[in-house]
Amino acid sequence: MVALARKTLIYEWRRFLPAMLAVGFAGLLQLLQIALVLGIFGSTSLYITGSSADVWVGYPGTQSVGQGRSIDADVASRILMDPAVERVEQYLWVDGDWRGPRETGGLSVFVSGIDPSANGLMFSRVLPLALRRRLAEPDAIIVDRSDLQQLGVGLGQYATINGHSVHVVGISQGLRALGGINVLCSLDTARRIDNDPTDNGPTYLVAKLRDPAQAGQVAARLRGDTAFGPYTTWSAADFASLSVRYWLFDTGAGAGVLFLAGIVFLVGAVITSQTLIAAVNGSVREYATLNALGVGVAALRRVVLEQAFWVGALGLLGAGLLGIVLLLLARSQNVPVVLNLPAALACILLVLGLAAVSGLAAMRSLRRADPATLLR
Amino acid sequence: MQTASAIPSTAQPALRAEAVSKAFVSGQQRTQVLAGLSLSINAAELTLISGPSGCGKSTLLSVLSGLQKIDSGRVLALGSELGQLDLRALERFRLQHTGFVFQGFNLFPALSAFEQVELPLNHMGMTRDEARARARRSLEEVGLAHRMKLRPSELSGGEKQRVAIARALAKEPELLFADEPTSALDAANGQMIIDILHRIAHTHGTTVLCVSHDPRLVIHADRVLAMEDGRILSDRRNHAPIIDSKEISS
Ligand SMILES: Nc1ncnc2c1ncn2[C@@H]1O[C@H](COP(=O)(O)OP(=O)(O)OP(=O)(O)O)[C@@H](O)[C@H]1O
Ligand SMILES: [Mg+2]
Repeated sequence: MVALARKTLIYEWRRFLPAMLAVGFAGLLQLLQIALVLGIFGSTSLYITGSSADVWVGYPGTQSVGQGRSIDADVASRILMDPAVERVEQYLWVDGDWRGPRETGGLSVFVSGIDPSANGLMFSRVLPLALRRRLAEPDAIIVDRSDLQQLGVGLGQYATINGHSVHVVGISQGLRALGGINVLCSLDTARRIDNDPTDNGPTYLVAKLRDPAQAGQVAARLRGDTAFGPYTTWSAADFASLSVRYWLFDTGAGAGVLFLAGIVFLVGAVITSQTLIAAVNGSVREYATLNALGVGVAALRRVVLEQAFWVGALGLLGAGLLGIVLLLLARSQNVPVVLNLPAALACILLVLGLAAVSGLAAMRSLRRADPATLLR
Repeated sequence: MQTASAIPSTAQPALRAEAVSKAFVSGQQRTQVLAGLSLSINAAELTLISGPSGCGKSTLLSVLSGLQKIDSGRVLALGSELGQLDLRALERFRLQHTGFVFQGFNLFPALSAFEQVELPLNHMGMTRDEARARARRSLEEVGLAHRMKLRPSELSGGEKQRVAIARALAKEPELLFADEPTSALDAANGQMIIDILHRIAHTHGTTVLCVSHDPRLVIHADRVLAMEDGRILSDRRNHAPIIDSKEISS
């Protein structure tokens, strides 16, 4: 078979370049958008995904981690009664007002009081053990490297939270939060920082199960007992997606993502289809000649679709390579970007869909390849 | 209807039109291009249709080759009535039996001469090797053996038209239609093209129907049909031996 579609694409690459660029940029834009949104909103569930707890216990109606209210500490004994539970630990969330050593003014911080012991569950995936141990020291805190400038502190320096003096004993990574700054300390320190008189227990209890796969069942089993006051339970996965969903929809970011995806698709498809149509029109007499010689319209359509496919594939390749470079760059600059398989597949689907729609549009102009018009 | 002189021809004509009428309507205006035209074209001959501009030559060609529908009458090509075939069947008929050479060369800029010729053969269901062998043979036949690798941008006008002829010829069609194949070429190149068409008719037994208003071609045809206002005015045979093109041009 003479590869007409590919040979034309290579020989007349200048003509197809706008389409490939349009497809590539559409893909790239979409990729970066999804990665950013996942990165930013993914950080809202960092408390859950960065910890090794399988089941979370908190105040009923809590929509995201930052909105918890205190529950009775005695719920822990009820949780521990379940044979599937291996360990329960407290987690105290305190909203704090930060004053740095230099006059930086008040800053809103999210204080996470966690168990500093070596087998502690909270932040076990993001906090190195050596750093974690330092939290046992009274008034010790750990902050994220990317927040240092904003907080106006360095390692070993002192600051105050809610008027309580704290001491930076460690600097970690991957603790960035959305809408505030995460500060990690021990449960004891957090209790001292907490100046809300209505708080008289932990914000959450987190539990580790013997078999993490049972998280859903165990969470359901532990729910609905009111003997210790109001509380409810979630499996870690449910609570994480609840958190992310809350942010996506409450902030309108989800609608924004879909809206931009639609715009990107539309603009990309317009440019790509126009380019492909121009390419078909440029060869319309040759296509008509082939049809006169008996090459069927279906075969000619396949040529146009194949061209669209190659435009899509090459655009995708370009977008992929550039996207990886940009994502790595973003990572190195502490910009929260996350790309997972479904998101990447969504991008690929969008780009190939765009190319297919453009190919179908270009196929329509093959109708002008009527061999009778060659005889005049 | 006379039979062709020295060439053995089938009893049935390769192409026959019976009382064919064709009109174009654009807006209020109606142009009757063919009005009850009848003719028969024999195999293994080069038949030339000549006549003034706008008399309906190209329309006749497109009707006889099944590229356009007719209003009334019948067109029989190789025994099939073209009016009875649907679009698909017409495409299949053209694939198996017809070749075309147009005024423009209509070559794909991206393909080499060899690929231009091979491409339609790919769709005829023959093996790759056979398609390539045929493409090579027919390019050799039009004298382009040494130009096979070149793209249209590297070929002269005459060479491009010869590639177009090779593309039609490689299909080994029974019917070969050519519409003004020489009008974009100078005298010498035009001469060469008509010689090739003539040779194809005689060596392959192909029915070659050529439309031209170029008076220089008349002496090269086996038979000349003069057309005017949608009718055949005269039907002439050239019994004189074909004059060598070199003698004419000198
Ligand atoms: N698709 C069409 N729509 C309307 N009118 C047409 C169409 N095709 C041809 N005609 C008309 O039919 C007449 C014959 O056209 P045709 O192309 O057959 O002429 P021709 O003999 O080939 O002329 P020339 O020698 O200039 O090529 C012309 O008057 C032309 O205007
Ligand atoms: Mg004409």
